[in-house]
Amino acid sequence: MTVPATSDPADTRTAEPDGWLGWLTTTDHKRIGLLTLATSVVLLFLMGILALIMRGQLAQPGEDLIDAHTYNQVFTIHGSGMIYLVMTPFAIGLGVYLVPLQVGAPALATPRTTLLGYWLYVLGALSMLCGFAIPSGAARSGWFSYPPLADSDYSPGAGPDLWVIGVAMSAIGILLMAWAVLWTVLRKRAIGMTMLRLPVFSWSMVVTCLMVLGAFPSLLAALVLLALGRGDPAIFDSNVWNIGYQHLFWFYGHPVVYVMFFPYLAAVAEVLAVFCGRRFFGYKATVLSLLVFAALSMSVWGHHMFTTGQASNDYYSLTSILLTVPAGAEYFGMLGTLVGGRIVFRTPMLFALAFIPQFLIGGLTGIMTGTPVIDYHVTDSYFIVAHFHYTLFAGSAFGLFAAVYYWFPKVTGVMLDERLGKIHFWLLVVGANLTFLPMFGLGYKGMPRRVNTYSSVDGFGLLNLLASCGAAVLAAGMIVFAVNILRSLLRRRRGGLAPMPDNPWNAHTLEWATSSPPPPENFTPDRPLPPITSNAPLLDLPMAQKEAEGANPGKTAQPGEPAGPAERSGL
Amino acid sequence: MNKHLAYGVVAFWGLLNGLSLSVLAIYGEASMVYWLWGGVVALLELVAFTVWLSSWRGSDQHANYRVTARTGAPALPAAIAVLLAGLSFAYGFWLLIVSLPLLAIALGMAAMPGLAGKDV
Ligand code: HEM
Ligand SMILES: [Cu+2]
Repeated sequence: MTVPATSDPADTRTAEPDGWLGWLTTTDHKRIGLLTLATSVVLLFLMGILALIMRGQLAQPGEDLIDAHTYNQVFTIHGSGMIYLVMTPFAIGLGVYLVPLQVGAPALATPRTTLLGYWLYVLGALSMLCGFAIPSGAARSGWFSYPPLADSDYSPGAGPDLWVIGVAMSAIGILLMAWAVLWTVLRKRAIGMTMLRLPVFSWSMVVTCLMVLGAFPSLLAALVLLALGRGDPAIFDSNVWNIGYQHLFWFYGHPVVYVMFFPYLAAVAEVLAVFCGRRFFGYKATVLSLLVFAALSMSVWGHHMFTTGQASNDYYSLTSILLTVPAGAEYFGMLGTLVGGRIVFRTPMLFALAFIPQFLIGGLTGIMTGTPVIDYHVTDSYFIVAHFHYTLFAGSAFGLFAAVYYWFPKVTGVMLDERLGKIHFWLLVVGANLTFLPMFGLGYKGMPRRVNTYSSVDGFGLLNLLASCGAAVLAAGMIVFAVNILRSLLRRRRGGLAPMPDNPWNAHTLEWATSSPPPPENFTPDRPLPPITSNAPLLDLPMAQKEAEGANPGKTAQPGEPAGPAERSGL
Repeated sequence: MNKHLAYGVVAFWGLLNGLSLSVLAIYGEASMVYWLWGGVVALLELVAFTVWLSSWRGSDQHANYRVTARTGAPALPAAIAVLLAGLSFAYGFWLLIVSLPLLAIALGMAAMPGLAGKDV
């Protein structure tokens, strides 16, 4: 049952200070979300430059572009940066921007702690990167920094300390943001927006935030343990704490892979539905399988510890393989949406379409490594590097680009250029596969990960050269992407762009019902919330309007339909 | 029915975790794993309870159309204070002399209603 609308006399919308001060102190979820998204995209470019340095070093056997000590820092900050500072914050940032709009709320539940979360993330990123500026260098024990390697005996200097501080701060920041997004979906929905009318993206944020709540505290515990060990390395003389660290870390480390997956999967799902001009296929089954998928993903962490011989391998390989069931359901939903849709091949749709097979390669090789017999052969090799770059780059990052092209007009009021978008897309498809496919072969042939060079007798030269050529293609693609964004923003500033409709894609969800970019309070008397009759309210609109004219009484209307917009906004 | 769904989702998800945990118990694991995961299940049920409490007190969906009147100005000083506290662990605890007062100022600012700026 819904409650009747009451107007709120205490509407005290604050004018935020103008200019940059207004941005730094904002409580508008759109501004906080945009800051988060922009920061993580800038970091994506920086971490990409580190990747190029590595691919330069590895292109030929026996190169010495950078020495081993530097190489260790570069892969550590590249991997840590991509995970802690790019893919996770971007996913949560999308939620911060979109969820209130999608559920028809004017604001986030706890905007001030969300802003605090953003600043913790930014300062944490700075702390981590500052490692490069100190004489002993940045952290160098990999993105999971196992002790005893990461303790102060084996990794002396302040760089690893800065890494611990940075990771901890960004993790706390993400926790604060995730709490706000979760509470907004659960408790701030507009009238008519029942849980089973939430868009797929908002549902993905529910499960994502639940995983953050369940898993991130464990990362903080691992970091505290590591910090203690950096104070007194004798702690790690005991195996209990070495294995204990691995449990604590991977209890976070596997679920976070899904934190970096579900929001992008759901962005792809929305793009697929919109560019097929139809509802997402199997909505309820998809929602249920998301919940099961996320819960199951909390139980597989031990597959990262198979080769320690100190984890219950049978259990973790069972649960890892079970993941194929809900994953299959998601894929079924996506393919079902495509079949019979009238597909429109715009840039967001291209990225969404490529996501499907490319993520599948990452997912299937994940099932392989989730099988101990195979994992014993490929662990710590380039096979693993290939596997997680297929999930994270060829998968999630393609979802990220689909999201950028799709929501850019919503956020800025201008479109990105289609032609440049398509060039970006094709360069990325070619580049990603050319870079990461050879790595499967390298790993299978025995090239270990985290090595700064190899010998010409190893026979790794050709595949490494191909991978490095792929990296150059990726770099070209990313330059096109940067040009596209800057060009659109510059044109917007100069004016002279043809006016864009508020809903240029004929999208289905509430964020497209308001103006682009949306006003501070999201929905206003001129741009009121439409009736919310399903998980695709804008697709219902013609029908609902017909109904208002009396054509189909009672078919979709809910008791207590939203009251007049003027009353609701209290303006 | 829908009023129950929101907290039910959280509770259900926590229980799914409890289910996997009990299957793990059949296989056996280090005792710290039980504490860790068991603690997480408890935390999730606590969250579910909080959601239930809040929806029991208020409406399920919202008609109140209100955005906050309070500034986010304290956020940046608070974050700097946290950074300094973290750095004190690498560079010496004297940094707390800067961090703690800054945190106090940020909390003070956060508590003050008057900083909200002008209404429109
Ligand atoms: C969203 C994009 C990406 C993500 C999330 C990501 C993530 C990671 C992670 C987690 C690591 C492991 C670091 C460690 O061992 O501690 C890594 C290593 C690496 N990545 Fe990426 N990466 C991304 C993009 C790229 C791109 C575009 C390239 C190539 C152009 C690349 C090349 C490498 C290389 C060469 C390594 C080092 C492998 C080693 O020495 O073990 N990555 N990446
Ligand atoms: Cu995993």
